[in-house]
Amino acid sequence: MFKKSMKKPLALFAAASLAVIGLTVPASHAASSTIQVYISADTNIQDLWVKTLVPAFKLAYPGYDVNVTFDLHGDHDAQETAKITAAAVLHKDPGVDLIDGGFTTTLGAAGLLYRPTPGLMPNINDLNKTVLAAGKGGIPYRASSVLLAYNSTNVTTPPATLDDLLAWIKAHPGKFTYNAPNGGGSGYSFVQTVIDKYLSDADRKTLVVQAAPELQTKWAQGLETLRQLNKYTYGQNGTYPANNAETLKDLATGLVDMGTVWSDQFSSALKAGTMPANIKVTAIKNPSLTGGASYLGIPNSSVNKVGARLLANWVLSPAAQNLIVSGTLNGFPVIPLNKLDPVATAAFKGVDILNLRAGYLSANANDLKSKWASTVPGK
Amino acid sequence: MISLRSKKSKEGSLTTHGGGPSPRSLVGLALSLPPLLIVLIFVGLPILIGLTFSLGFTTGPNRVIAIIGQQIHKKNHWWGTLGAYNDVIHDSRFFGDLRLTIFVTVLSTTLVLLLALAIALYQRLIGGRKAAVLVTLSIVPLFVPVVISAWAIHTFYGGDGFMRTFFTHFGINFPTLTSTPSAIVIGTVWTSLPFAILMISSGLQAIPDALIESAKDCGASVFRVIANILIPLAKTPIIIAASFTSIGILGSFTIPLFLGPNQPTMLGVEISNFFGAYNRPQQSLVMAFIVFAIASGIAVLYVRSNIKSAKESGRL
Repeated sequence: MFKKSMKKPLALFAAASLAVIGLTVPASHAASSTIQVYISADTNIQDLWVKTLVPAFKLAYPGYDVNVTFDLHGDHDAQETAKITAAAVLHKDPGVDLIDGGFTTTLGAAGLLYRPTPGLMPNINDLNKTVLAAGKGGIPYRASSVLLAYNSTNVTTPPATLDDLLAWIKAHPGKFTYNAPNGGGSGYSFVQTVIDKYLSDADRKTLVVQAAPELQTKWAQGLETLRQLNKYTYGQNGTYPANNAETLKDLATGLVDMGTVWSDQFSSALKAGTMPANIKVTAIKNPSLTGGASYLGIPNSSVNKVGARLLANWVLSPAAQNLIVSGTLNGFPVIPLNKLDPVATAAFKGVDILNLRAGYLSANANDLKSKWASTVPGK
Repeated sequence: MISLRSKKSKEGSLTTHGGGPSPRSLVGLALSLPPLLIVLIFVGLPILIGLTFSLGFTTGPNRVIAIIGQQIHKKNHWWGTLGAYNDVIHDSRFFGDLRLTIFVTVLSTTLVLLLALAIALYQRLIGGRKAAVLVTLSIVPLFVPVVISAWAIHTFYGGDGFMRTFFTHFGINFPTLTSTPSAIVIGTVWTSLPFAILMISSGLQAIPDALIESAKDCGASVFRVIANILIPLAKTPIIIAASFTSIGILGSFTIPLFLGPNQPTMLGVEISNFFGAYNRPQQSLVMAFIVFAIASGIAVLYVRSNIKSAKESGRL
C-alpha cells in the first residue's frame, strides 16, 4: 500500500522517535547540596514550606538547595508509596529525600524509613516519646488537634467531657454530626475517642504503637454506643457526611449545632470567611479528642540522608517551630512551649500540646475504619 | 422482505488464488497491530497481573503492593488461593452493596432509556422549535464536570435545599433525598442522559420519512409506528446507549460518594474504600473483578447485537 519510497523514511522516523524517548531518561540525582522534598497535603502546607520554611532554611544553611515537589490532597499517595517501596526493594534512588505526607506512617510501618537518632539529630530529644515511637521512623514536626465545634448562639455552655457530649447528642436529636471515618480525620477522631472510652490506658497505648488485632475485640462496646447514636445524629437515619469539608459546611450553614473539626481547617475557614464568627471550638476531656501529628520521613534508600537529616533537624528547632506556630497555618508545635516565642504561643495556653492523644497506628486505624463501616451506618 | 445480502465477489476476498494471506492483508494487519498491542500491554497485562494478585501471587510485579497492603492472602496451591475471594463473599457489606449497585444500574438505565426515547421520538415525530430546545437542554449535563453536578444536586435536594424550602411554603414536608439511593438514581440519570439522547436521536433521524408516512397511509396509529418501525430500526443505537450507560453507572464513584448513604453504597465507592481507607488492596481487586464480570456480560450483549446488525447489512 505504501510506495517503496515511503518505507525508508518511515522506518527512520520510528527509530529516531524511539531513540529520543530513550535519551530523555531523567538525570541522576545532583550533588548532595540539593535536598528533594515531597509534600502531599493541602495548599496551606504548600505555602508553609515554599513561602516560609524553605527560605528560612536557606538563610540558615546557604550551602544547601531545597527542591519542593507538591501533590495536592494526596492524589498520588498510592503511586508515591509504591515508587519508594519499589526503589527500596531494588536498591535504587527513590528520587526524594524528605517526605511530608499522610503516607509516611505507612512507609514507617513497612520499615522503609530511616530511624532518627539523637546523635545525628539532636533536636528529637525535645519530642514527645510516644508520638515519636508511633511514627516508626517518621519525625513529627507539627500537630493539629480535632476539636468540638459548636454554634455559640444555640449552645451557651458546650459539653466538657465525652459523657456530657453523648448526653447532649441524645437530648438534641439531629443537631450533631461527624463524618465517616474513612473520609476524614475529624470524624475518625470522634469514633476512636468513643472507642477509647471503654479501653484502659495500657490498651490505648498499645493500639497507638503496634498492630494489635487481638485487642480489636474490645472495640465492640464503643461501636455499639456509636450505633445507638444513629437515631440522634443529623438526618436521624444513620447517614454521615462523606468528609471533613462536608462537616464544616453543615456547621457553617447551620444544619447542625455541633460537630468535630480539625483545628487548622477550622482556623483557616474562619480566616477565609467561610465559617461564621458565632461558631467556636472547645476541647473535651475523658477522653479528649485525638490529635494528629504530621510526620516527616526520610526513606532508607534516599541518596542525600545528610541533607535530609539537616533539614528535618532544623524544622524541629525553636526558630522553625516559631514560624509554624505564628504563620497563617496556626499549627501546633511539637517541642515544649517554654522554648518558643511567648507571644506566638499565647493562643495555646489552655491546650496541653505535648499530651495530645495520639491516633492509632495506621494498621489499627484502617481496621477501625472498616469495622465502623460494617457495624454502624444504616444499622 | 428483499434480502440485503450481497454476494461476495472473488475480487473482494483477501485470499490470493494460490491460498495463504495476501500482501494486502498483511499490511492491514500491521497497521491495526499498534493500537491492539497498546490495548493488550496497557490494559490486558495489568488486568492479568491484577487477577494473579487477587489469587495470591505476591511476587514479581505484585511484590510492592503485597508489602504495603493489609490482610494479604498468599497462595497455597499452584493455582493460588481463594482466601481474598472468601473474605469478600463473607463480608457483611458485600451483598448489600452488590444488590444496591445492580438495582441502581437497572433502574437508572431504564429511566435514561425511557427519557431519551421520549425526547428523541418527540423530536422525530413532531419536531419543531420546542423539540430542538428540549434536546439542547438535555445535552447540557455533558459539559458539567461530575463533581460539580454531584455537589449541585446535593445542595438542591439537601436538608435546607431548594425542594424542601419550596414545599415548606405549602406546608408539605418534602423528604431529604440526599444520602439515599433515590439521590444516586437522580444523579446518574442526570449525567447519563446526554449520551443516550445523542445516540438515540441520531439513530431515529436516520430513519427515512417515507417509511413513517407509508405506515400512516396504511392506517397505523402513532403507537404502531413507534413500536413496529421506529424502535426496531433504531435498535442498534438503543442497545449501544443501553450498554454504555449501564456499564458507566455500574462502576460510578463520585455520584454515590456524595449523594448516597454510607452503607450500603455502590461497589465503585466500596472498592475505593477497601483500597485506600481500609488498606485491603487484594479484597478491593476481588470486588473489581466481580464488577468486571458483570460489565463483561453487558458487553457480550452489545457485541452480539453488533455482529447481528453487521450480518444483516452484509458487512460480515
